[in-house]
Amino acid sequence: MASLVVSGARHLLRRADFAKVLRRHRHKKKWAATEPKFPATRLALQNFDMTYGVQFGDLWPSIRVSLLSEQKYGALVNNFAACDHVSDELEQLHARDFVNKAHSHGELEPESGQTAAPSPASWACSPNLRCFTFTRGDVSRFPPARLGSLGVMDYYLMDAASLLPVLALGLQPGDTVLDLCAAPGGKTLALLQTDCCRNLAANDLSTSRTGRLHKVLHSYVPQDVRDKSRVRVTSWDGRKWGELEGDAYDRVLVDVPCTTDRHSLHEEENNIFQRSRKKERQMLPMLQVQLLAAGLLATKPGGYVVYSTCSLSHLQNEYVVQGAIELLANQYNIEVRVEDLTHFRKLFMDTFSFFPSCQVGELVIPNLLANFGPMYFCKMCRLT
Amino acid sequence: MGRAEAQDRGGRKWRNEEALLPAQESQRRDRTMAALGRQVLDWHRLIPLSWASILRQTPHFGEQKRATASLLRKLTTASSGGALKGLPHVQPRKYVQELECGTSLTQCLLEKQRAPVDGGSSEREELISSLLDMGFTDVHVQELLSIQPSPHPQQLLAIVSKLILLGVNPEPVCVALKKSPQLLKLPIMHMEKRSSYLRKLGIGEGKLKRVLHCCPEIFTMHQRDIDRIVKVLREKCLFTVQQVTEILHRCPYVLREDPGELEYKFQYAYFRMGVNHSDMVRTDFLQYSITKIRQRHTFLERLGRYQTPDKKGQTQIPNPLVKDILRVSEAEFLSKTAYSTAEEFEVFKKLLAREEEEESESHMSGDKSTSEEEEEEEEDEDKDEDEDED
Repeated sequence: MASLVVSGARHLLRRADFAKVLRRHRHKKKWAATEPKFPATRLALQNFDMTYGVQFGDLWPSIRVSLLSEQKYGALVNNFAACDHVSDELEQLHARDFVNKAHSHGELEPESGQTAAPSPASWACSPNLRCFTFTRGDVSRFPPARLGSLGVMDYYLMDAASLLPVLALGLQPGDTVLDLCAAPGGKTLALLQTDCCRNLAANDLSTSRTGRLHKVLHSYVPQDVRDKSRVRVTSWDGRKWGELEGDAYDRVLVDVPCTTDRHSLHEEENNIFQRSRKKERQMLPMLQVQLLAAGLLATKPGGYVVYSTCSLSHLQNEYVVQGAIELLANQYNIEVRVEDLTHFRKLFMDTFSFFPSCQVGELVIPNLLANFGPMYFCKMCRLT
Repeated sequence: MGRAEAQDRGGRKWRNEEALLPAQESQRRDRTMAALGRQVLDWHRLIPLSWASILRQTPHFGEQKRATASLLRKLTTASSGGALKGLPHVQPRKYVQELECGTSLTQCLLEKQRAPVDGGSSEREELISSLLDMGFTDVHVQELLSIQPSPHPQQLLAIVSKLILLGVNPEPVCVALKKSPQLLKLPIMHMEKRSSYLRKLGIGEGKLKRVLHCCPEIFTMHQRDIDRIVKVLREKCLFTVQQVTEILHRCPYVLREDPGELEYKFQYAYFRMGVNHSDMVRTDFLQYSITKIRQRHTFLERLGRYQTPDKKGQTQIPNPLVKDILRVSEAEFLSKTAYSTAEEFEVFKKLLAREEEEESESHMSGDKSTSEEEEEEEEDEDKDEDEDED
């Protein structure tokens, strides 16, 4: 059978790796004598099969195939580029603004008498956000963003589901906003787009990642806007924010580091499922609780926090929310209420596929027809 | 495993090469040969008699012709089916010739017997009667004669007899020639060579009928093209001789494929899917298009419903059977094997097509950019090389 192996089969076996690996991220041929037997991407997939197979049951296969296939993007229109034709161009491509669609969807529906009518402040979406996506089943890609006349790019390509935490945060004009784990900057950019930020503090522990954040801000936001919104970029330890700036912010976004499920299935470089990072990965939930707690401590009483991850794991999602709330209650005597996002979810049901049984918060699950996410988000109100 | 022999007029014996046949097959053969033996002897008595009795017993002539034609069929069936060492096919031809001789003397009777066929030369009438003798019905004869461009009668007869001698029945011969009239243009020598090659491969009778129907190119194509395919199957894919015969007769379309693509298909089945040789033959794997195979298999794989077997051939989940993946309709595949929806599969197919397009593009330009990328990698060393460096 030796002849069978040699003749071109190597090429096939490489392709047998379920995940597609970018050429420059594959193992370094110069040193490795053989293909890595167990790339981190494969370890990630095994881990997911074990945990999510149980967690999601029959839903897991359709999530799995979506994670392993090309994801769908949304085009966040850059309001600062001041070009109206962008929307027209995107519509020409048969893409639609899903935020707009959600709002008209919400208006059409009569407010059916719910037992606890949600207060406007809790479910109103952050304003001024426009994000185009292709319809269900359409696999077209957006052309790369171009530089507009004002020297900034016309739109920002991101996972459309990433916009939901920002929408859910419900910014209002004049808010002081904190983005605790801001890099690489998609959500930070969206926060600025709302034009509601009196102050925006964007922080990320990693200096290399804050570098990327700077780049995004420079490419998309003109200097005067950055000045007006008093954008401050820092590279401090997010866990310390309670002490640093306690009770200071109206709205806080805590988009924590997580196992970045989709990314971990495709990218080998710095993959958190590498054996050398096992300890770090196991400590993640604890880190996430600490970050969320710090974010809550930095919120003014009566202010709102949205916690988000791009992982499907219970341990990094609901458990963390519940853990942080408990911690604040026990250690700081601070009461935090989870906000019900059911109404919010209904607005976006046509565009995204939601997991029906989250205990707290909402989870966008990938589906081949709407290959966005995973994205978990939970909104909380600090009461005391 | 006995042997049966039948003596013919010339004293030559027919032998059965039973070592290559399963036991049951050879028993059936024995019986046929025995019966045949008797019939042959009877028939020999018939031949001299018929010449004389023809003139006296014209009404029976038709039936006798039927009988001899069916006999002829039995003879050729028994002689050429399955045996790799070809039996001398001289015998049947002799009988054909004798029939021809026989009939030429009875031309006038023929004309009286039959409804007038479209008039023509006596050559044409000869042709017609020969065809009838071989077992073709009037309808068949009409059809054969109406094939355009109409071949020379001798040519038609030669091609037709070759096919009959290979064990194909008159009906399928007729259908095949109507469908692929280019067969009639083949030179006789080519036809001879190809026939014996096919016989050597063990493709005759019913097997040949099927191949002829789907893939008449098996006669018209160049020997070297057939050789190329057979070579891929034997040397690259390592199928046995018997397996190759099976494949050719069950999936004749492989003859049309590009040898490289055929090899790729085999490798995909063997390495990616873990399908072994005998299963590949048994499930007619090679007949399916590589696109369909890749789509359905990759879909299942990504759903987590199909695993490539490890070195020991084991998987953690039971893989669905090949037939449940490829043989079934798409609707059944989706509902019974994949447990997914048509819409999701449609999207998946589009995404997969795009992935493959980009894979092949990057492969083509890959060699050029490798040197660039390796330089890039050297610069990034400190960050992520901890593991690889030794």
